Amino acid sequence: MADWNMEEMDDLIKRMRHIAEELKEKSGGIQAVDRNVDRILANIKMLELNVSDVMELLA
Amino acid sequence: MAQDPSIYWNPILETLPREKLQALQLKKLRRIVAWAFENSPFYHRLYKDAGMEPGDIKRFEDISKVPKIEKDMLRQVQEHAPFPYGDILSVPTQKVTAFRQTSGTTGTPVYQADTWQDWEWWTESWCYILYAQGYRDTDRVFIPFGYNIFVAFWAGHYAAEKVGCEVVPGGVLDTQARILKMQELKCTAFLATPTYVLGMADAARKKLGIDPAKDLGIRKITCAGEPGASIPTTKKRMEDAWGTKVYDHIGATEIGAWSYECTEQPGGLHVNEGLFLVEIEDIETGEIITEPGKNGKMVITALDRIAKPCIRFDSKDVIRWAGFDCPCGRSFRLIDGGVVGRADDITKVKGVLLAPTAIEEVVRSIPELGDEYEAVVTKTGDIDAILLKVELLPGKEHDQESILFRLKDQLRVKTNLGYQIEVHPYGSLPRYEVKARRFKDLRKKGG
Repeated sequence: MADWNMEEMDDLIKRMRHIAEELKEKSGGIQAVDRNVDRILANIKMLELNVSDVMELLA
Repeated sequence: MAQDPSIYWNPILETLPREKLQALQLKKLRRIVAWAFENSPFYHRLYKDAGMEPGDIKRFEDISKVPKIEKDMLRQVQEHAPFPYGDILSVPTQKVTAFRQTSGTTGTPVYQADTWQDWEWWTESWCYILYAQGYRDTDRVFIPFGYNIFVAFWAGHYAAEKVGCEVVPGGVLDTQARILKMQELKCTAFLATPTYVLGMADAARKKLGIDPAKDLGIRKITCAGEPGASIPTTKKRMEDAWGTKVYDHIGATEIGAWSYECTEQPGGLHVNEGLFLVEIEDIETGEIITEPGKNGKMVITALDRIAKPCIRFDSKDVIRWAGFDCPCGRSFRLIDGGVVGRADDITKVKGVLLAPTAIEEVVRSIPELGDEYEAVVTKTGDIDAILLKVELLPGKEHDQESILFRLKDQLRVKTNLGYQIEVHPYGSLPRYEVKARRFKDLRKKGG
């Protein structure tokens, strides 16, 4: 595990989620924004499954 | 055994120590059970009726408190709103972005709802498979599949793109056109059912004069949909026909793609324990089997699928844990020889338990026989009988007596049963493109 900075990766993933959700809040319902953010959030979820979910177990 | 991390799609999960992996599974099981309890009326009723609440799952051993689900329950729930999935659905219908359904081989089809996140998850599970089997951004992958309502190779397509491969969709082309397109584009890999892998090779040789092993540059093949790629004699036939490695993976519409062979091919498949929880249950007693070598029914949970959660699904697939490790270094546990049968397929004939895969293993171990066969079980009065229809390869007719002697002998050794054998002209038995139906039990209604 030493080869990966899990904490830093997890932090960046959290920030990505926060930014994506904030963008959706500010879109004013523009579909071209909201639907693309939904897809980004689905990919962020995959990052969470691959990285973040494991984080607390390694502490 | 430590390996270069670049051989894994995700070295974090794939080499996670077993105790951490189990802790991760417990955490995720609690999460998906809580999600289903809160969002799916079906699961809420199921758990309430069983007197269980998500908070009751505290330790790994508590998993057995979670009620199992079966395919019939998934069918029955479809009779209720919301159409067409029923109240198992855990998201508003507006969030569903993809419909798929099961083939209906064992009854009414089950309709499957996925959100976009679920679809990304399907794709992700296939990325583990393809990467473990050596797919990289240098591959051009052909997908000879009729893109339709069945999930089959849809997720394989998206995953191949995500891994970085160039994907050629072989959609509505016929078999000959598909082979010619693979040749024209110098494709390096393809995905198909074992039946179709053999069928394409046969068509290439007979109809186009192409020897797939020599004239096409295929470097790997990934199979799905049937157990053939884990049946050694069928695997060998495919590998000989194409001159390349053939890899297996196992998945199902209601579950996801939960298991895969890696390039080491140790004789078993890794369970993707980062995304799925697999339990093996004794068919007779229901006890959980943890030791290797003992067949049981698989009960499986997709730990991250949200629109239509799959929690402790009694799949009826018969599997067994392997008693060996894989040199690839993955900590994901292995199942020995893939799915060895289905609890509802293994049937008693003349009082002897028979798994249809055993017949396939014998037929395909005899090189003078064609790839196709059909086994038909009937009953006259109280007497069971099995008729086995086979094809001799062209030019082997003179040796028929000795070939059939070997066939009967091996069938008796491997299945403890006697068979009536019928030899049919080469090419006359049915050919299949997706799931083959070679075992027919006419004693059962609809068999």
